[in-house]
Amino acid sequence: MTYPPGNPYGGQPGPGGNPYGQPQPGYGQPPPGYGQPSPGYGQPPPGYGQPQPGYGGPPQPAASPTGTTLNPRTLPDDDNVNPYVFCVSLNGDWFMSKGAMLAYYGDVRFEAVTEYSSVQGWVAARFSSPVYVQDWVVATGHGKVLIGDRGFDLNSYDLDDGNLTIKAGNLCAFSPQLELKQSIVPGFVTLIGTGKFIASSNGPVIFVEPPFRADPEALLGWADCPSPSVHHDAQWMTQNIRAMISGALGRASGEERQYDFTGTGTILLQSSEVAREDPAVLRLVESQTQLLTDSQAGSLGQRLIARAQQQH
Amino acid sequence: MPFEEVNSKVVRARVSPASPVLARRGAMLGYSGQVTFRPVHGQGRGIGGFAGAALSGESNPMMATEGQGEVLYGYKGLHVTVLELDGGAPLVCEADRLLVHDAGLQTSVQFLGSGGIKQAIGGAMTGQGLFTTNVHGRGSVALLSHGGAFPLQLNGTQVGVDPQAYVGHVGQLTVDLAAKVGLRDVVGRGSGEAFQLRIGGYGTVYVQASEQKF
Amino acid sequence: MALLTAHKRVLHADLQGDRIRAASGSMVAVEGNVEFTSAGMGGGGGLRAALKRAVAGESLSLMDCAGHGRVHLALDAMDVLVVDLAGDTLTVESEHILAHTEQLRLDVQFAGLRGVTSGQGLATTTVTGHGQVALVSEGPVMALEVAPGQDLVVDPDAYVGSRGQLSMNLVSGVSWKSLVGEGSGEPFSLRFTGHGLVLVQSSER
Repeated sequence: MTYPPGNPYGGQPGPGGNPYGQPQPGYGQPPPGYGQPSPGYGQPPPGYGQPQPGYGGPPQPAASPTGTTLNPRTLPDDDNVNPYVFCVSLNGDWFMSKGAMLAYYGDVRFEAVTEYSSVQGWVAARFSSPVYVQDWVVATGHGKVLIGDRGFDLNSYDLDDGNLTIKAGNLCAFSPQLELKQSIVPGFVTLIGTGKFIASSNGPVIFVEPPFRADPEALLGWADCPSPSVHHDAQWMTQNIRAMISGALGRASGEERQYDFTGTGTILLQSSEVAREDPAVLRLVESQTQLLTDSQAGSLGQRLIARAQQQH
Repeated sequence: MPFEEVNSKVVRARVSPASPVLARRGAMLGYSGQVTFRPVHGQGRGIGGFAGAALSGESNPMMATEGQGEVLYGYKGLHVTVLELDGGAPLVCEADRLLVHDAGLQTSVQFLGSGGIKQAIGGAMTGQGLFTTNVHGRGSVALLSHGGAFPLQLNGTQVGVDPQAYVGHVGQLTVDLAAKVGLRDVVGRGSGEAFQLRIGGYGTVYVQASEQKF
Repeated sequence: MALLTAHKRVLHADLQGDRIRAASGSMVAVEGNVEFTSAGMGGGGGLRAALKRAVAGESLSLMDCAGHGRVHLALDAMDVLVVDLAGDTLTVESEHILAHTEQLRLDVQFAGLRGVTSGQGLATTTVTGHGQVALVSEGPVMALEVAPGQDLVVDPDAYVGSRGQLSMNLVSGVSWKSLVGEGSGEPFSLRFTGHGLVLVQSSER
């Protein structure tokens, strides 16, 4: 299985051996000497992209304001168009997150996973997460589909008889050869098998190896290592009474509680996100309250009301 | 120890017993090694710094990172700019711009602007604190900005900066809050553009590509 | 002659005694001697255009920047793209206009999509003439080609603008509704046919 994923600028594999992933020249870093005209920002950096539309093709309407014209022939096959947009070369079916589609060429239909699985029996077997199923569609047909997510960086990951667990809210699309399952860690899903999937990250993905402790909000996913355990910082807890109390319900600042990874594998990190409401998390937690007795459920309800009132 | 820029939004700090760091709370993304975190209240050193911070509202919850290891810092996907202070002129910025800095650097709260009460009121109206944080000493500082901070070099010249877009400055610079009358009628969308920071002298001003405060 | 140059997420407007128009509140820094005055709504189409605009829901508050010096303009850390116009027309959603040079003319064009409750409004802005217009977008803009037999379907929130002989239609239907979340987004998309370029940004919201 190959991860770190390919350099989002092209098909090249990421720098091997560097656990921290892509040092990407000219992207993200402040340009040297601001005030100098940076060479064509907004255009793909050299070596990254699309062949120029060949002469003899259809007549060009007008000069492209971006310097590059994209069409179904010049768009890449299953590769990044730029760091934030991925082009799926659709020939059959793909699973896609609702709202991930930016634009498409060709004959493409989008069907709810729930409806499509009644027609195509294999769908339910591939998408075995009832909590997330209503947030997903199946794109079916032939064409080029451009996907994006909030302007975040997009990476593609190729699994070769492997598995990778990723934050559900950052998973944008995956090929139907892969199987999706809900992770035991809330808010995460695991992809298993051989195939490709696309996930977003706030800033480029950072790859680290265990032993490592990650802030839950910065954790994007992990591969090949055992599921993390929760680590509480003892010193922080004793010195900060508030953290101790809120540690039971909610989150103080994050420094007192981390996901602890041991063993071997790869951990994927991103800059912490501006919190986005994941509707699936509510469904997930709610389903787990079945573990509680009636009186426990009652006291949990009271505590949640108190928390909601505190925040107003 | 200088911070390593992992990418445009994340820095890595190598922490040792001889070189702890101070960081914004909630900004730790992950770490390896034997590292502990300790909440630090208030700003600066000693009573004076703390009282100043309380008065000005410039206080920002920070935490000390100690031990031996490597720690990643970032905050809500904001861009990070790393500056090396040479022990000369302090870095002036707002406290909530500080992502992480060497614990050996000292911070204090400063009253920004020299125009007296009237302009102070003007400043309050922009929703921008007139109190800023001074970072003194020799070491690394990582600053947060929305969309990245770009430097403007001043050589005895003057620049007008939108208070919302102002990130910080280093050098022999004077800062005044100016009410631009001509701008008053431009104010739409509550942009606060009727007020400008007039910064002049010799040094570098850092400005972000957004009017979004955080 | 005023010159607009894009530098990542900041637009440099170099003024030599002339003026440009920019979105109100977009100035982040200014060097030199530049005066800012409100230019009202739109691109100088007068009261009728302003009224049209209010009806259309296509609102754009502009300011004049005049003098000598360099103005740094930015909006919400969005990417900046400068488009040179040589007498041709660019159609663009007004919220994506950061600045334009004085000689360009802004007008409102009804898109003719009746009965649609889009947050984007029923009308778009056209920019015509000789000069430069600076656009902002979430991530870099992609120019996607539309040709006969090569239609393009675009999410309304990813649509920035277009150029050429294009017609825009709605794609709707049950399958499309399943693509967007309940109560979020619009249950339709835009299908472009004809001959031209469609500008698309990399964010769907």
